[in-house]
Amino acid sequence: MPKLIIDGRNIEVAPGVKVIAAAEQAEIMIPRFCYHPALGSVGACRMCAVKFLEGPVHGLQMSCMVEARDGMVVSTTDDEAVDFRRFVIELLMRNHPHDCPVCDEGGHCLLQDETVSSGHVMRRHIGKKRTHRDQYLGELIQHEMNRCIHCYRCRRFYQDFCGYRDFGAMGSANRTYFGRYADGPLENPFSGNLIDICPTGVLTDKPARFKGRRWDFERAPSLCIHCSLGCATIVSARYRELIRVEAHLNPAVNGHFICDRGRFGFGFANHPNRPHHARIASATATYTDALQAAVNQLAEISRTFGSQAIGTVTSSRASMETLMALKILASAHQWRPPSCFQDARQRNAAVAAVTRLNPDAAVSLHDVECSDHILVIAADPIAEAPMLALALRQAWRSGARVTVLDPRPVSLPCEYTHIPVAPKQLSAVLQQLMNALPSSPDTPPAPPIRTSDDAHNASAVSSPSCDPKPDTALPLLAAALQSSQRPVIVCGTDIVSGTVVNAAADLVMQLRASRKNAGIFNILPGANAFGAAIASPDGASFSRILAAIENGEIHALLIAESNPVRWFPDRGRIRNAFKKLKLLVVLDYLPTPVLDMAHILLPTQTHFETPAVFINQEGRMQQASPLHCNGMPLSQLTAGKHPPREFRHDIPGADTKPAWQVLLEIKAALSAVNTHLPSYSELWEQIGQETGIIIDRHPDSEISKGHRLRLQKPKHLPETPEPDAPLQINLQDDTSLELFPVESFCGTEELSAYAPILCRMEPVPELIMHPEDAAGCGLTDGGMVTIQSGAAILDVRLKTAAGTATGTAFLPRHRQLVWHRTDRSASRASLPQK
Amino acid sequence: MTQVLFKNRHPDRIATLEEYRAGGGYDALTAVLGKYPRSKVQQLALDAVLLGRGGAGFPAGKKWMTVAETAPFPRYMVCNADEMEPGTFKDRVLIHTDPHQIIEGMVIVGYSVMAERGIIFIRASYENAARILEREIERATTAGFLGDNILGSGFSMKISVHRSAGRYICGENTAQINAIQGKRANPIQPPPYATEKGLWNLPTVTHNVETLACVPHIIRNGPEWFKSLAAVPTAAGTKLYCVSGPVQHPGCFELPMGTRLSDIIEKHAGGMRTGYTYKTCLPGGASTRFLPRSLYDIEMDFDTMKKAGHRLGTGSIIVFDEKTCLVGATLNMMEFFARESCGWCTPCREGLPCMRDILARIEAGDGKPEDIPLLRQMSKYVWNSYCALAPGAASPVESLLTYFEDEVQEHIHQHQCPFSSKG
Repeated sequence: MPKLIIDGRNIEVAPGVKVIAAAEQAEIMIPRFCYHPALGSVGACRMCAVKFLEGPVHGLQMSCMVEARDGMVVSTTDDEAVDFRRFVIELLMRNHPHDCPVCDEGGHCLLQDETVSSGHVMRRHIGKKRTHRDQYLGELIQHEMNRCIHCYRCRRFYQDFCGYRDFGAMGSANRTYFGRYADGPLENPFSGNLIDICPTGVLTDKPARFKGRRWDFERAPSLCIHCSLGCATIVSARYRELIRVEAHLNPAVNGHFICDRGRFGFGFANHPNRPHHARIASATATYTDALQAAVNQLAEISRTFGSQAIGTVTSSRASMETLMALKILASAHQWRPPSCFQDARQRNAAVAAVTRLNPDAAVSLHDVECSDHILVIAADPIAEAPMLALALRQAWRSGARVTVLDPRPVSLPCEYTHIPVAPKQLSAVLQQLMNALPSSPDTPPAPPIRTSDDAHNASAVSSPSCDPKPDTALPLLAAALQSSQRPVIVCGTDIVSGTVVNAAADLVMQLRASRKNAGIFNILPGANAFGAAIASPDGASFSRILAAIENGEIHALLIAESNPVRWFPDRGRIRNAFKKLKLLVVLDYLPTPVLDMAHILLPTQTHFETPAVFINQEGRMQQASPLHCNGMPLSQLTAGKHPPREFRHDIPGADTKPAWQVLLEIKAALSAVNTHLPSYSELWEQIGQETGIIIDRHPDSEISKGHRLRLQKPKHLPETPEPDAPLQINLQDDTSLELFPVESFCGTEELSAYAPILCRMEPVPELIMHPEDAAGCGLTDGGMVTIQSGAAILDVRLKTAAGTATGTAFLPRHRQLVWHRTDRSASRASLPQK
Repeated sequence: MTQVLFKNRHPDRIATLEEYRAGGGYDALTAVLGKYPRSKVQQLALDAVLLGRGGAGFPAGKKWMTVAETAPFPRYMVCNADEMEPGTFKDRVLIHTDPHQIIEGMVIVGYSVMAERGIIFIRASYENAARILEREIERATTAGFLGDNILGSGFSMKISVHRSAGRYICGENTAQINAIQGKRANPIQPPPYATEKGLWNLPTVTHNVETLACVPHIIRNGPEWFKSLAAVPTAAGTKLYCVSGPVQHPGCFELPMGTRLSDIIEKHAGGMRTGYTYKTCLPGGASTRFLPRSLYDIEMDFDTMKKAGHRLGTGSIIVFDEKTCLVGATLNMMEFFARESCGWCTPCREGLPCMRDILARIEAGDGKPEDIPLLRQMSKYVWNSYCALAPGAASPVESLLTYFEDEVQEHIHQHQCPFSSKG
């Protein structure tokens, strides 16, 4: 452990740490532009110059390029160092346009800060400044190349860290240009991070452009709830409008970065159709009246038809508080337990993932980056958990191998082997793999395949080496897993049953038995699917609820922050079933189609407005802090003109409550004896009693910092009931394809589907199948096909991909894909060509 | 004067393979391959004090020794023919004179480090030289001196000619490695050194054309003979000196290493042209310092130059006469360096154009007295840049201010270039 002295402070750091990082540990911030903890040191900007007074290195040196070593005495305030840094700033500012008044970076600009701190205040240079033409880089990022100071962070992030090649450095000398070959939207689904890492205003947040200065915003640490990873964010709001989302450092989860879905998917909170007022039978009502009406009718239905006539539905986007309040409400009055998942297969898989999660084997996203072999089972990382794809790339850059066992033509920003296996064969294949793993831990490791690791930095999104024959690929995979030291099994839950999830857990246990530090990393369907599996493992799937309504068993339905209609082909059937209901109470902050069918609507608050706890896919419990008070954004109230000329005492559109609070109020109002309304902390006491989860409300507690709080193994999860019958596509020759609704990066995730900016970027949704399957029924790539399911039909474009497992077809749960009602009826889905 | 590298120099044509062989060409290769242990080849070069002729003067044998016995394969041998240093043209002359000594040198060095893949990285505008090399590589392969299992030794080597896209920075070893891999030609600061992780992260040994051409002669005649070629006891071998400027016979001369500057100019280049008086010179290309008049008799070898606070560089002497404006000459060079910066680090990318602009204003008569301390400060600070380009670029400016400040002051005080008015 090297010991050194920086500015008179004694510091001891780990070997290999650069002086700039060592100083940071001692809370000495050495100025920098090109250095970034996630992107490393490259010595380009020369801004971090310090003076080495004693020890193995002497004189003025760049602190990012010198490793901390024993005996070093470093001064960051030496005259020569200060003078040189001022010289660097003077050079950088020589061509900078000084357009700070109209620059969105102004106020949180590293260049501004370093210029002021360097002491460079008077311009000495005369003559023209260098200018560039800006490019159109899509809807997300604004390009202002004249401001560039050439730190190369953007190119290093875009090409080296992410592996995408459509943006980079061009030209040379002082004409070096950072952009694309031609104008066009950036292809990298992590491109929004360019906004965070650019030290000045070259790459800024386009949707947030001109909407305010950093100090104008209300800001709070928050959580991304657009997938199950639970990345840390910082959110900014102004005038009750959410303006922008930035990545927040969480070393164990997302590191410094987030994906574009998480960054630009917040539009649901500002949505113009967002419910701001309670409604009874589509007429605006006060919250108190609506709540009382709901309570009265629920009590009435319970008296008339029995408590089991009341069904409850929620979803994996609901916070832990909402899920548990609904569960407490339902069990207090013997209603049906909450249904949290779209279908039973997904529920079974999620429950299996949570039940089988061994706390010792569960790994974080950061651990995935440190793995040396990652086997991805039944998961499409870019679509289901985007930051996982970036973690896989970092692992691969450090020499790890990546293997994907998935029926889809998965695309990853690294080299990987893809073995397409149909979901129903996956558990057999995993069994085969376990059999092929040598039982003795002393088997010699397989020889390494790669001789050169240089491609790591150069390669773009590569096409995988695809092995369609698991029989030949599996022994190789088994040998590679056997030779690895820290393998990680990634298991998805979106297209497989609990059996596969169990088999993946078994594989991890078998690897761990042979002295390997093997880890499991599940992906779950939704930000709080982990919590949903704990809260309601026995909840029925929505199709069972629907059947119960149709059979007349359920007369009242309480839907809390869920849109069960979203991926249900036959909307007409839902509409008819809901018409039979005597009472439909909906609690939500999204303008879902269910709102229009509701008898009573109780608008709720997002996790930007009320504290909300979510448990991510690895069992990490994290809390989002409320950012601002709920209400209608000023821009919507004044049609874009501000400040408002009307003054009033209330906040317009603030007549909402957190869902958990509404649910507890209903519970209290329905109770004859226990009418006490629990506070937030009393709710958590109750959650603790039910689940064993303890939340520490101390402001310095782990959870308020968004840090790791590994959940203990959940107790007593029951065996899961049989899943629903799968969707099938009948082909002409009496064979059939199994059809899977799947996720895609844009357009399928529920919340971001309400973000106009992302909706504009959605690719056209396509049905994906293997070319041979398509040829078998005379279909061609790019042609339109019609899928029929029950009485609903859907027209969709066909895409054939050789990386697809035969016998399967995949359809994104895309908001653009709307099933139409038809008079034709069929017992099974069929696929006529249009 | 002993001619070693230019032994087969003809005014009108390139030496043939037969001519080269008749003079002992490829004898060294025959003697070495499969017969000498690789360490012996390295030791011979070390004993011969063969210093890199590209400008840095690093001992060649020492470079080969840094390729570890256990290093991974394949290993690469790169011949740096990206001769873009202003005033330097020795490599082009050498390739047009006797190209086989370069090929033989590459195979011998390749053998000493077990590099079976050779690449000649050649300046884009040297298309003739590139075609000559391609043709002669073909002939050497046919004759069995290249290709698979050379002379039955079990050692194989293939050489390909890679044309540069045409930037000065591509001559820098690590930037060249990036360029060959199709990346941006930015230098990479060691460690790791290229001999450990170079092309595609594999061991890569790079040498200048002239260095490689010396190797067969050292093997054939021994280190003692090589050392005896030099004019001073501390140096070794001959040196290809390029002379340009207003001299009677500008050109490339093979002379003993350490020949006096005055001798090179007066004896070999025929002295100054009639009516021209020697003022100063850049002794080793544009990225070296102007020599003061007091060093006119200096011995032109790495050691002596270094002791005098100067650099031998490529040994390319650009002569300036009393009628040439040194501010204008320096501005001309700064135009080149500012354009040829790779754009990686701030002092070079932004500092050189800034220095160019100041020089341009001084030359145009718009200079101010405070420009001189500013230029001095900048010349000092660009030394803290990423690679050696900017310090090299600053050398003419810094030495201009050191030895010829009066000339600069004249520009500022007269508000015009004193040379333009004198005519």
